[in-house]
Amino acid sequence: MAGGRAVAAFPLVAGGGPAVRRRAPEAVRRLATGLVVPAALLAGWQVTAANGWLPEQILPAPAVVLQTARDGLDDGSLLAATVTSLGRVARGFAAGGAAGLLLGAAMGLSPTARRLVHPLFLALSQVPVLGWVPILVLLVGLDEALKLIVIAWAACLPVVLGTMQGIRDVPPAYLELGRALSFGRWSQLRTVVLPAAVPSIFTGLREGLANSWQTLVVVELLASYEGLGYLMTYGRQLFQLELVLVAMAVVGAIGLVLHLLLAALEARLQRWRPAAGS
Amino acid sequence: MSGTASEGRAWQAWLLPAALLVAWEAAARSGLADPRFLPPLEVVAARLRTELAEGGLAGHLAASLGRDLSGFAVGSAVGVGLGLAIGFSRLVERMLSPVLLVHRQIALFAWVPLLSMWFGGGEAGKVAFIALAAFQPTVINTWQGIAGIPQGYRELGDVLLLGRLGFVRLIALPGALPRIFTGLHAALIYAWVATIGAELLLNVAPGIAGRMNEGERLFQMDLLLLCVLVLGAVGVVFNLGAGALERRLARWRIA
Amino acid sequence: MRLNLLAGALVAGLMAAASADAGTAVRIGYPGVGLDDRPFAYGDYVAVAHVNELVQAELKDEPGVEVSWTFFRGAGPALNESLAAGQLDFAAGLGDLPSIVGRSRGLKTKFLASAGIHDPIYLAVPPGSDIKTIDGLRGRKVAQFRGTNLQIATDRVLEAHGLTEKDVRFVGLDMNTATAALVSGNVEASFGGSEYIELAKSGVVKIIYSTKNDSPTLGRNSGLFVTEAFEQAHPDLTAKVVKAFVKAARYAADEADRSAVFQIWSKSGLPVSTFEADFSDERLAHRVSPVIDDYIVARYKDQAARAKAYGLVKKDVDVDGWFETKYLKQALTELHLENFWPTFDAKGEKVTDGVVEQTKVSG
Repeated sequence: MAGGRAVAAFPLVAGGGPAVRRRAPEAVRRLATGLVVPAALLAGWQVTAANGWLPEQILPAPAVVLQTARDGLDDGSLLAATVTSLGRVARGFAAGGAAGLLLGAAMGLSPTARRLVHPLFLALSQVPVLGWVPILVLLVGLDEALKLIVIAWAACLPVVLGTMQGIRDVPPAYLELGRALSFGRWSQLRTVVLPAAVPSIFTGLREGLANSWQTLVVVELLASYEGLGYLMTYGRQLFQLELVLVAMAVVGAIGLVLHLLLAALEARLQRWRPAAGS
Repeated sequence: MSGTASEGRAWQAWLLPAALLVAWEAAARSGLADPRFLPPLEVVAARLRTELAEGGLAGHLAASLGRDLSGFAVGSAVGVGLGLAIGFSRLVERMLSPVLLVHRQIALFAWVPLLSMWFGGGEAGKVAFIALAAFQPTVINTWQGIAGIPQGYRELGDVLLLGRLGFVRLIALPGALPRIFTGLHAALIYAWVATIGAELLLNVAPGIAGRMNEGERLFQMDLLLLCVLVLGAVGVVFNLGAGALERRLARWRIA
Repeated sequence: MRLNLLAGALVAGLMAAASADAGTAVRIGYPGVGLDDRPFAYGDYVAVAHVNELVQAELKDEPGVEVSWTFFRGAGPALNESLAAGQLDFAAGLGDLPSIVGRSRGLKTKFLASAGIHDPIYLAVPPGSDIKTIDGLRGRKVAQFRGTNLQIATDRVLEAHGLTEKDVRFVGLDMNTATAALVSGNVEASFGGSEYIELAKSGVVKIIYSTKNDSPTLGRNSGLFVTEAFEQAHPDLTAKVVKAFVKAARYAADEADRSAVFQIWSKSGLPVSTFEADFSDERLAHRVSPVIDDYIVARYKDQAARAKAYGLVKKDVDVDGWFETKYLKQALTELHLENFWPTFDAKGEKVTDGVVEQTKVSG
């Protein structure tokens, strides 16, 4: 699911000439149209704040938001909050992803396991992750354990499904080829099944990471005394919308970085696969 | 290996859940597990009865579903409308896609503090948040649905001398409909998640998740388990319903 | 594009509803909830006004006026959000810190009357805890309702004992969640109000500190506020609402009504015994007084300065232009209560006596 289209690359027309001259303004024009709306929003924001058309608790001025960001960076609180939040995501995703891979592989490889476990798993996944939080709070409290479990569960769901599906969807032709080549069970797995399942597994992991991040934010909003979610709650309680906006910007930036990293990773993996579809 | 005898082995699906339920009941009854944390099943069932009768469970569920569907309606309407605009117009796409890309990177719940400060923590704020949750998948899928219309179809429209409107009505919309429905299905799920989150994070009001909050505070595990069951049931209904709708749509489509 | 128009209309309607100024609706907000989040107040005259429906009674002759009450689990901060979104007309019992925070961010309200003064805070710990004094909180995980007047009261207590917020790991939890967290061991201590008295009595928690045994200025304050918009549009209704609250205050401050008042407060879910214990060495009027005298003004100026010092607000808050006492004075005159409550100067010394000090618990 690609985001906006990137600015068109300059065509590799040897010798340049009229073709390049024609395309260059085109690329510039595309960039310009892409910037119109953001620029207009920013300008509108600045004008509204400067004229006080909206009360300042509804819309703090851009300068105030920037200052808050600067203050947060200066005293290290923003960095500390970011590190805390990222650490939680990393731990939760690692745990949930690993568990998901194992469970998904087990269900993908063993029809019995699948028949036994999948229905229950499917049933449990109908309940939104958030719905488990009150019960978990009673069981494990408000501390890191809660966050780890919730984030891991959120990560685990798509990973299990993606892994299981990926392994199940390996074309029978591949398996037969492996058998024809007298691959042992282990070789079959390593050389045929897993590589063929990688795209689906990767999609599952990707969704798992996205889920982890989303879940982290809401769990931190519910009960935390550090992290980006906590900053947002603090800003909300002391009516400092600029703090909320700064935290949101960081959340968005991290989301973007994750998105780009995974897209790049996926592109590399795709390049390795033959072009002739799955 | 699998598949042929799956009908006969369908009962295996119930094996694990049944075993777990038996273990649960045994642990709760025998005192192995603290009954506060693991109430016996009949306690949960009894709780269901009292909640339906006096606790107003139906009312809470209705309240949750009410705001869920309101937010879903608003959010997906805006999403579909915007998605269509972006899909049909290159210019609109170029103008809006950067903003939408950035908007998508911000985790959904990060909007809660902002929306509660703009709309207050009451119904307006909750519905606004739910609408936002429904907006994201609908706009993307509608856009992609339109953008994904094969070139051949567009040329067909030219060949048949269909005007712009004709093209939209007879080719583009039907062609994009499955994708749009995928988006609506996702939006339904997201909106439900957002409903629960909104009830947990914003002001007290009738609602299923709000009830869970009370249950958490008063250490009423039976109530919490009951509510989880209700949440799951709603999730199942949504998924099955949306899935069935999508399948009917697919059947109508010519491959 | 019809979808777009429909969506636009829906969103517009939603926004209109969000900032509804529904003519003659009188929307009162209270920053708190009772046990299990039930919509009842306790500890002040606002609770009396709510339960005895005094505001409705006062406005019953006004055509088309509808009174509504909203109780905010999120206390002051959540109430501020509603004020900012134009969803409330009166804030009754809003604590000093959230009202100061709101004013510092440009919320346009008028301070009509005091709602509560000298409200004590308590520090509760689990029974077996090794925390014995305020100092013992260093580095511990403590629950505190952020953004409410509890926070600034807590900060002042810490300051008086040489600590700052940075020395303690504060978890922001609302009242009921904090109580549950303390009981279940999720936090090591919790600052709160009279909700802990019953729990201490049954041995579930231990109260190791109270501002009652400390300086009286460490208590909490709250006030009755109206939005400038409502006051300008309906000064007559404002006057009547204030009068209704003064009537409630008259009732709630009179020692003769002591048990009846406790009964009213027990609708919040806290038992009567809690209030008996909380007020065992205090007269009702010590906490229940609508009067705005030099003491109140000085308190708020002090709180505003401290809020800035603790970093809870970012700029100086001008308190002087905030008070609008004409409705209070008018109500006191009409009800012949001009000398009912004592008044104090900025230092807390009594300036005039009050009739209420002579009232006694009825037989």
